[in-house]
Amino acid sequence: MLHSRFGDTGEIPNCTGARARPPQRTATDRGLALAEFVLPGMIALNGITKSYNGRPALRGISTAVDRGEFIYLTGPSGAGKSTFLRLLYRAELPDSGVIMVNGADLMMMRRREVAEFRRRLGVVFQDFKLLRRRTVGENVTFVLSLLNLPDREQQRRAYLVLKQMGLQHRMHAYPDELSGGEQQRVAIARALVLQPDLILADEPSGNLDPERSHELLELLKTINYQGTTVVVATHDRTLIEAHPARTLFLEHGRVVRDAWVTAP
Amino acid sequence: MNRHAWQEIKRQLRESGAAGIVAVVLVAVASAWGGILWTVHSWVQTELLAGNRPATVVAIARGPAEAAALHDAIRANMPGVATATLAPRKVQEELASWFPELATVLLTLDERSFPPLVEVEVTAAQEETLVPWLQARPEVTLVESSRAWQSRLEHTVSRFLIAGFALALALLVGCGVVVLLVVRLLVLAHADEIAIMRLIGAHEGDIRRPYLFCGSLLGATGGVLGASILVGLEVALRGMLPTLEVSSWVLGGLPFGGALAGVAGAAFGLASLPSEP
Repeated sequence: MLHSRFGDTGEIPNCTGARARPPQRTATDRGLALAEFVLPGMIALNGITKSYNGRPALRGISTAVDRGEFIYLTGPSGAGKSTFLRLLYRAELPDSGVIMVNGADLMMMRRREVAEFRRRLGVVFQDFKLLRRRTVGENVTFVLSLLNLPDREQQRRAYLVLKQMGLQHRMHAYPDELSGGEQQRVAIARALVLQPDLILADEPSGNLDPERSHELLELLKTINYQGTTVVVATHDRTLIEAHPARTLFLEHGRVVRDAWVTAP
Repeated sequence: MNRHAWQEIKRQLRESGAAGIVAVVLVAVASAWGGILWTVHSWVQTELLAGNRPATVVAIARGPAEAAALHDAIRANMPGVATATLAPRKVQEELASWFPELATVLLTLDERSFPPLVEVEVTAAQEETLVPWLQARPEVTLVESSRAWQSRLEHTVSRFLIAGFALALALLVGCGVVVLLVVRLLVLAHADEIAIMRLIGAHEGDIRRPYLFCGSLLGATGGVLGASILVGLEVALRGMLPTLEVSSWVLGGLPFGGALAGVAGAAFGLASLPSEP
């Protein structure tokens, strides 16, 4: 069952409430444009277009995600889900439009600021993207080492987050020695260890069997209940219906519906 | 650098394999060659071409009487300089001692076939005034100075050194190119991993530093090997050339130069890293 959130037009309401943040650069035209497009929370996209070799992947996407929200991106293959997520963690830049994530204007971000920005995000991929030549423990402590934390603190935090994932006994195993489900949990542990404000998951259940997929969604929901904003891109409709949440439906690079999906 | 960076460097050194060994050997050869050249150059400068080295001027006189007159004139003009007159018989014997295979022939010749010589030991500054003064004397037929021989040697040595250092430089550039290729191969092999590291918030410095360090370690190891070769040569040649000494600056500079070539190679190798938007 679908309940429209912002109406069928998919327009974002112009929120001017207490949580709105003024943009950093108000002197420029871009800053003035941003001032009109007041930031509603964790993610705000306005008029985002992206094309590859002239083929449009996203066409004028505008949407917003509040802090602490859990949201699905769904749609058929080629709808633009992965491009949407890649824009959010700034692996790509849009051709036009404005993207604000966690208070940062991604278009204005300098290259050296990108790393700092990504440390406040947790990204989970379908193919896990673990460092193959490093153990499970090293995969998790690597992100902590970027903060120059002492070794003991790195080990302690890695142990705690892996314990949360039920993988504390596999700290010294290499990714290739783990099952798909275990690898995905390591990827989530790595995403969680820096206690990010936002988790982006791109088809996280794509390589998992249905049972593991549901476990993974439960895990992401639990993380969300603890206050972390979670965005999950998936084409698995049954998964969305089993774990209902606000869902953005993408087709041909457009948000065709923004609605709350509940179990049938 | 943190524990992860050190582990990454160790992995890279291990993975550089045969190509890494080639780089180390090449740096060792280049640095040892450069070190040998510099040491020989310093030795020649100190032992043979020193500017303050006393010069020996030899004047060939027309006859024994002219030699005696010349001897007196020199003593009067330059009191205190060491002057010696060699009679024809003495010249004949000396020549025979220099060329033992011709000694029989030389000693059978009439001693009047040999000219009397006046030999003068002077400082470099005195040599400059003495030679033209001798050349102007009527009793002198020929003047030879050891300084002329020194300048010919200096010229030959400098040409040899230019060619030698050019070769050392070419070898060092070759080392840099080999390190470049090693790092490029490592970057290609780790392309996925580098992309992941970026996605989880690693700075470019966090990614590049281990590669640069790996390149510098390869270069420095080659430099240390080169310095060891140099010390080995010095020890081996000590019996023949007791004054030959490898400078500590050279020994310290070789690993540093190797590391520099390694870093430069690695930096160029890292140019193959794909960039982000």
